[in-house]
Amino acid sequence: MSGRADDPDVSLLRPYLMTSGRTKPVDHTIEIEAQVMTSNLGATSVQNLTFERRDIISLCRRTMSVAEVAAMLKLHIGVARVLVADLAALGYVVIRRPEAETPQDLRMIERVIRGLESLR
Amino acid sequence: MDSNRSADPVLAPKKPPAPVKIVIAGGFGVGKTTAVASISEIPPLRTEAVMTSAAAEIDRTGHVPSKTTTTVAMDFGCITIDDDVKLYLFGTPGQDRFGFMWHDLVVGALGALVIVDTRRLDDCYPAVDYFEKAGVPFVVAVNKFDGMLNHDLNDVRWALAVSDEVPLVTFDAREKLSVRDALLAVLRKAFSRAQTRTAAP
Ligand SMILES: Nc1nc2c(ncn2[C@@H]2O[C@H](COP(=O)(O)OP(=O)(O)OP(=O)(O)O)[C@@H](O)[C@H]2O)c(=O)[nH]1
Ligand SMILES: [Mg+2]
Repeated sequence: MSGRADDPDVSLLRPYLMTSGRTKPVDHTIEIEAQVMTSNLGATSVQNLTFERRDIISLCRRTMSVAEVAAMLKLHIGVARVLVADLAALGYVVIRRPEAETPQDLRMIERVIRGLESLR
Repeated sequence: MDSNRSADPVLAPKKPPAPVKIVIAGGFGVGKTTAVASISEIPPLRTEAVMTSAAAEIDRTGHVPSKTTTTVAMDFGCITIDDDVKLYLFGTPGQDRFGFMWHDLVVGALGALVIVDTRRLDDCYPAVDYFEKAGVPFVVAVNKFDGMLNHDLNDVRWALAVSDEVPLVTFDAREKLSVRDALLAVLRKAFSRAQTRTAAP
């Protein structure tokens, strides 16, 4: 049974508190600023989901970060991460994670500077 | 149950924006939440961040006992930069014992703004130390609590023992444009740091 640990369907069934003793079934290290957007599959599967997973699918019809998901649903950020990662593994949400090279990316930094400069 | 079914497709079929972030640190009550609130396009949200062994795993410093769990309140907000980029601001209390949470927050950050209150300068030491050691570009921003500074900026620099390379600015956390300018100082520092890195052999 533990041999199926990397099966996303299995991971979706397990309660959060069971995760600490396990090797990562899904990549749960999603950054708190990663963007979460409900996919078409997620939107049409919402009736199959319950509780927080269902709430996340409804909420993320408007794209938002993992941190926002946690704050709006009053979930601990660690729980929000696990749930979002599981939903992403099932294709119910699309996530966009930050690029690792961003801090070195001159064009990106310039772009953010320009964006902020235009704030009034 | 069936009546709740929503068969309509997701409204926005485009891909999510690229997230970038700046960390806002400093001691208790220095104006972190105020700064985020002044400039964020959403009311600041709060999340109780629990760092568990999962977070410890990715802490490269290896200082963290694997089962450590703690909860800290963190306030955050965001700014739409353009069609494809969204800037997040994370305000975090700068306490030593939360050091291991910072890795999580700080990894991938463009830079950090360390807010100081000149009446309690030493509250910001942990943050300054952390960003120096972690190699994160940062700016020290003195919050003008009474509309005036009771310290000369050079005295502040001396008291904090930060090098001349660390930009020091004054700002008012309650004013949007003032916060914007402090963030721009962080980004300019980040830019010159990235330039140096890129130019390095
Ligand atoms: N006069 C004045 N008051 C300020 C300024 N910035 C913040 N304050 C006030 O100082 C208090 C603390 O500000 P916060 O923004 O909550 O500080 P914080 O750093 O988020 O505090 P913690 O999250 O508790 O660590 C609030 O009552 C603010 O209204 C400022 O520039 N001038
Ligand atoms: Mg606060």
